[in-house]
Amino acid sequence: MEAESSTSNQQRKRKRSASESSEKPAQSTWRSDKEHRLYSSKLLEALRRVRSGSGSSSPRTDPPRSRAVREAADRALAISARGRTRWSRAILSSRSIKLKSNRIRVPCPARPKRTELERIQSAADQEKKKSVVLQSKAKVLGRLVPGCKKLSFPTLLEEASDYIKALEMQVKAMSALTEILSMFGGGTEGAPGMVQDAGAGTSTGTDSMPPPA
Amino acid sequence: MSSRRSHSRHSNASRITEEEINELVSKLQMMLPDAPIRRNSRVSARKVLQETCSYIRSLHQEVDDLSEKLSELLASTDTDSAEAAILRSLLMQ
Repeated sequence: MEAESSTSNQQRKRKRSASESSEKPAQSTWRSDKEHRLYSSKLLEALRRVRSGSGSSSPRTDPPRSRAVREAADRALAISARGRTRWSRAILSSRSIKLKSNRIRVPCPARPKRTELERIQSAADQEKKKSVVLQSKAKVLGRLVPGCKKLSFPTLLEEASDYIKALEMQVKAMSALTEILSMFGGGTEGAPGMVQDAGAGTSTGTDSMPPPA
Repeated sequence: MSSRRSHSRHSNASRITEEEINELVSKLQMMLPDAPIRRNSRVSARKVLQETCSYIRSLHQEVDDLSEKLSELLASTDTDSAEAAILRSLLMQ
């Protein structure tokens, strides 16, 4: 247990210097309401930019536009992470180079850990089969989480758990946003903030989407 | 638990013990959607990793679908009233 606590202490120190919310571990913040609201407002801002940037002449289900929405949402999510995690930094730096693939090598500011998976393998010959299987699974996981292809195993797991929590929040925020927007679908021209018939069904129904169950 | 530390030839401070891995794997398992409450060491790390991967994939898929819906909605709604509505609902939470 000592080794475990010392490594987590190291990582906590790193996180403490990076963010101001030092007491809470990074995991619990994704679930808080404040984080949710923060993300929602950032998302809104980003979406507004997407909307104004693409003009009104393009068709609704423009593939580039949904891609732009996805990227804006991811970027807002990464910003909300406030630089605590690798995946968020990877998203931000990869977006600025305008590359969609998460296969690029992001220069991580962390110390260059030469894959300790190799150390596991060499150190445990009798469990070689198990660690090989784990390594292949870990590689798949590393491809899914942005910027985590060459991390050590425990770091990868930590990044993955944080990433999952963030993704869950992203899904929640985006579906809430979708629900709200679908209630006000069709647009009311010239009446900002005066929408009374919330949920009375889309009278100017341009969208025929069923409400999310 | 096998004493991995004595087997390890690389005696650096950053060696990974099996307990560490199990701990992280169990933490990860807690976050998966249908995490069994009565968590034992019966669930292998491989299984947890696999479920994690598929869970992340499904989350990505959800985000993509939502992005698509949002892009449709963005095109068809008037921004001002929608924004006001959104802000209001955000404040009410």
